[in-house]
Amino acid sequence: MKLEVLEERIIHLRQQVRRAMAAGERARVRGLRAELRAAERAWEEALEPRFEFEFEASGPPPVRESVHRALSLLGVPAAARLIVAVDEAFHGGGLLGERLTGLLRDEERAFRAAPHARPYRLCAALTADLLSPARGLIAVSTWPLEVRVVGPLSARTGFLTSAVRIAEEIIRLRESGTDAAPAAYRLLTRMARNIPGAVEGYGPADPATVIAAARAELAVHEPADRARRSAAAARAAHRLDPAEQLFGARLRTAGAGRTRRTA
Amino acid sequence: MSRLDALRGPEPAVDHNARTIAALAANPGCDRRAVFDAAGVDKQAIARHLGYPAPFGQSVFAITRARAFEELVKADGCAHLLRLLRELLGLTVAEVAYDDIADVGGNASHAVRHARTRALLRRAATAPPGDVAAAGTLFDHPLLRLDMGGAEVYLEPDVIAFQARGRFHVIAIKSFAVIDGQADPARVAAAARQAAVYVHALRRLFEEEGLDPARVAHDVVLVCPKDFANTPTATLVDVRQQLSVLARQLSRLTRVDRILDRLPPGLTFDLRKDADGTPTRSSADLAQAVRKVPARFAPDCLSSCDMAYFCRAEARERGSTDLLGRAARDELGGVASVPAVLALAEGTREPAADEVEIAAQLRLAHRLYAETTRAMGTVA
Repeated sequence: MKLEVLEERIIHLRQQVRRAMAAGERARVRGLRAELRAAERAWEEALEPRFEFEFEASGPPPVRESVHRALSLLGVPAAARLIVAVDEAFHGGGLLGERLTGLLRDEERAFRAAPHARPYRLCAALTADLLSPARGLIAVSTWPLEVRVVGPLSARTGFLTSAVRIAEEIIRLRESGTDAAPAAYRLLTRMARNIPGAVEGYGPADPATVIAAARAELAVHEPADRARRSAAAARAAHRLDPAEQLFGARLRTAGAGRTRRTA
Repeated sequence: MSRLDALRGPEPAVDHNARTIAALAANPGCDRRAVFDAAGVDKQAIARHLGYPAPFGQSVFAITRARAFEELVKADGCAHLLRLLRELLGLTVAEVAYDDIADVGGNASHAVRHARTRALLRRAATAPPGDVAAAGTLFDHPLLRLDMGGAEVYLEPDVIAFQARGRFHVIAIKSFAVIDGQADPARVAAAARQAAVYVHALRRLFEEEGLDPARVAHDVVLVCPKDFANTPTATLVDVRQQLSVLARQLSRLTRVDRILDRLPPGLTFDLRKDADGTPTRSSADLAQAVRKVPARFAPDCLSSCDMAYFCRAEARERGSTDLLGRAARDELGGVASVPAVLALAEGTREPAADEVEIAAQLRLAHRLYAETTRAMGTVA
């Protein structure tokens, strides 16, 4: 329904509520008020689609906020599995893996309907070669393109960077006097086992050692990885429209592509 | 190929996968399986209609567990896998590239994925030595193709790893545990047979691309949970023997015409399904048709072939020595039925010219057995 029509209806309903109240018709007032609330909700909806995110604000933070918080900590595109683990380690958990499926589809739909209604969007990471959405990875729209593009080496650099960021967060918490939760140490230790020289024996990993070891391996991959990503990012900025820059280009036949590009 | 179509009837051919190809290679002497697979006959439907359904299919728990373990191994940019490969194959620190071919820009069609697999592997094989980034290291969800008796079969190995010494390795991720360095031999054998199919397909791809097929290692990397935890561990498994069995069996498949020549004309395994898909052919008639193709039953068929229960019942009817397992059957050298073996042993039947040797052995065994049981009888 159009906004104007809804506004007229809201004014009309308000008048009726006032009159029914004056006439002392209690039952009628209740019915009219319900109608009024529904009309107001429809008005909000029409003004800004997917407004219901705001209604979840009371209680636990909505899924997209939890995901955003975890991703901001990691600083690189991550898979649902790691996002859930970070949420559990640093933000008390409560984020369920299955709630992340379909999240990007919702975000893309919302973005296409109202591109700038949000300060950030959760979006896809783009593959460096085809600029298509990378399977299973989630990124944040405010990150520069070259962070959101992933090449063949990025799976590893992403993992190592994540380990560094998690270790840094633990150190930060420790220095601020509130030590990190045991889950955070468990996560760090689990990651450290797959980084050469990051942990010895079966004890928990030491954050400073993990940072040093991960950075040592990062130094090997980073130049090649960054070169690949920046080249792809430049290509993406040049070729893709704003929505595709966030959610990826789909492989399509030449004819179908034309019609969509011009649309 | 029209002969094979006639055998199958109007139904579409059933697709092969690594499991079915491995099962075929497990019993290379079985004409029935060779013909059914070449024709793409729905063995499961036939066995069900004959009244011998195979209680196959993995439990949902096993499937969930297998998937969870595979996810764990591949999590965090294959972090576990890289550690294992560094230990096992000496992968260098620089070799970490990961290419996912589960889809190509959102297109998951077999043809597109296969073309992409081919392109990436060609690039990996022809990259200048030392250029690790260009070559790639891990290829996830690759799609290989194999020609099976004239039909193209797509196969999806778990991962292919490539490393700087120029060798490609097929990686098999399995969820059965390796406890104290030991795993269930039957499951390792099954995994090896399946992995051999991938090695074979990968070598064919290399040949088609004009590359040296020997660059595909005959050692496959088997990744399994270690002990009672979920920590992955990796072992190299030599699949040369499985490869040669497979190659022989596949070459037989292409020569399936020879078996077909021996079959009566007009033979078909068509279930004559009606519009609702209900078979209208009588099961006795179908059984008669199936019996026209000789089977070679072995007890291990029960774990890999849909037709196994029918073939076992058939072997029992004939009192066949196949029931005793391959080892015993081969020991009995050509004496086909259990009653015949017993008759030779007890001396109630005169051995034919080619049975003299085995008859002497059987009589000796019979005498030893009789003496032992008598001795035990007196002790008791």
